[in-house]
Amino acid sequence: MPKKILVVDDDPDVRLFNASVVQELGYLSVEASNGEEGQLMVAQEVPDLIILDVMMPLQSGIRLYRALKTDNAFANIPIIILSGISERSFMKSQEALTAFGKDAIPAPDAYLEKPADAETLATQIKSLVQQT
Amino acid sequence: MTTIKRMLFATKFQELAFDALESLLDLRAVGLDHVIFLNVVERDKVAMHRGVGYQKSEEVKLKEVANIHFIEWAEQLFEQGMEVGVHIVVGTLVQQVVRAASMENVDLIVIGRPTRGRLEQIVSGADISDLIRRTRVPILVYKQEDPPEAPLKAHPFTRPMLATDWSPAAGKALDFLVGLKGLVEEISVIHVGKENALTGLSAMDVQLYRKTHRKKLQAICDTFENAGIRARSHLYVGDPYQEIERAAREWRASMIVTGCSGKGTWHERIIGSIPRFLAEKSDISTLIVPHEGGS
Repeated sequence: MPKKILVVDDDPDVRLFNASVVQELGYLSVEASNGEEGQLMVAQEVPDLIILDVMMPLQSGIRLYRALKTDNAFANIPIIILSGISERSFMKSQEALTAFGKDAIPAPDAYLEKPADAETLATQIKSLVQQT
Repeated sequence: MTTIKRMLFATKFQELAFDALESLLDLRAVGLDHVIFLNVVERDKVAMHRGVGYQKSEEVKLKEVANIHFIEWAEQLFEQGMEVGVHIVVGTLVQQVVRAASMENVDLIVIGRPTRGRLEQIVSGADISDLIRRTRVPILVYKQEDPPEAPLKAHPFTRPMLATDWSPAAGKALDFLVGLKGLVEEISVIHVGKENALTGLSAMDVQLYRKTHRKKLQAICDTFENAGIRARSHLYVGDPYQEIERAAREWRASMIVTGCSGKGTWHERIIGSIPRFLAEKSDISTLIVPHEGGS
């Protein structure tokens, strides 16, 4: 059974690109177009890795990331953030939410700013999937 | 208590920039924690042209330019612990605003003043009327170029002026404002009587007219005062649009608030309604609270 990678991004072109990289590596890709849909898909079947965008309709990657990392059932799923939002800003956002009384959470397993080239993305995916 | 948790901020960037958004972050006092950005790439900018076909590369470029703006803005909001969503779509403004407002279940729609130019103004005026008819969500038409003498232009909700015609729609606007305690410092309530209603009346009848309407205005002020919001009333006579605009300046209102039936009568569609006039022509930000109809 191939490893399953969930790609969450509202841009269909980015989803297609990410899914192609995943499939080239011999893994199975599944896709969600926003954080809310992504969260539902994780709840239905836990993926081996998530490639997550940040700015999306309905629910951002920031909230989905937090929701997953604070849920024991999903906290161990490795996550690659792939976004136009800077890593610094992402971490500040998480700190801001923590400051509002929520739990502190770890940094993402990998953080790639868009656009990421196929080779860099593939290397990160392989490295994280092999650890699972 | 009025809750404004989710706000749709529709912008073309020229007419609504980040400082406008910042001035609305006061709404956190009434629950705002999710801002949804919307940029609509007008269809005719990427439509097919003879010998060119659909301009996909132009669509990609325009979307990426919008994305650059939104990334900057989103980072600012994310870092304050707020949630941000983004829609960058090709289509027509009204259709996409209604679609995004419904999809994201927003409590407030913010749009910029209609663009200038004679033809564009007509189109934009129609856009506002169309939007009013098609949504039940309050619409704030934000005026970036408020006159310099307006001291509180940066905070539209601080000193609003409620324009009432005693209709159920105006009552809905009143209810909306009453729930904004903690955000509104002082509210003005105005009713504009039509001059022709006074034609042929005796001095005593005119005084009675004044007394009756001032009493109704005072009752509204009492409602606000009971909710902990300072309020004062104003009775004007004349053309409603001109008098509301004049009163808003005289009493230094930060925003004009008006109810709207949302039905769009034939008269309103052809001649134009007061909310539409205010939204389109006034230099002061205008909040329109729909009463019924729409999606």
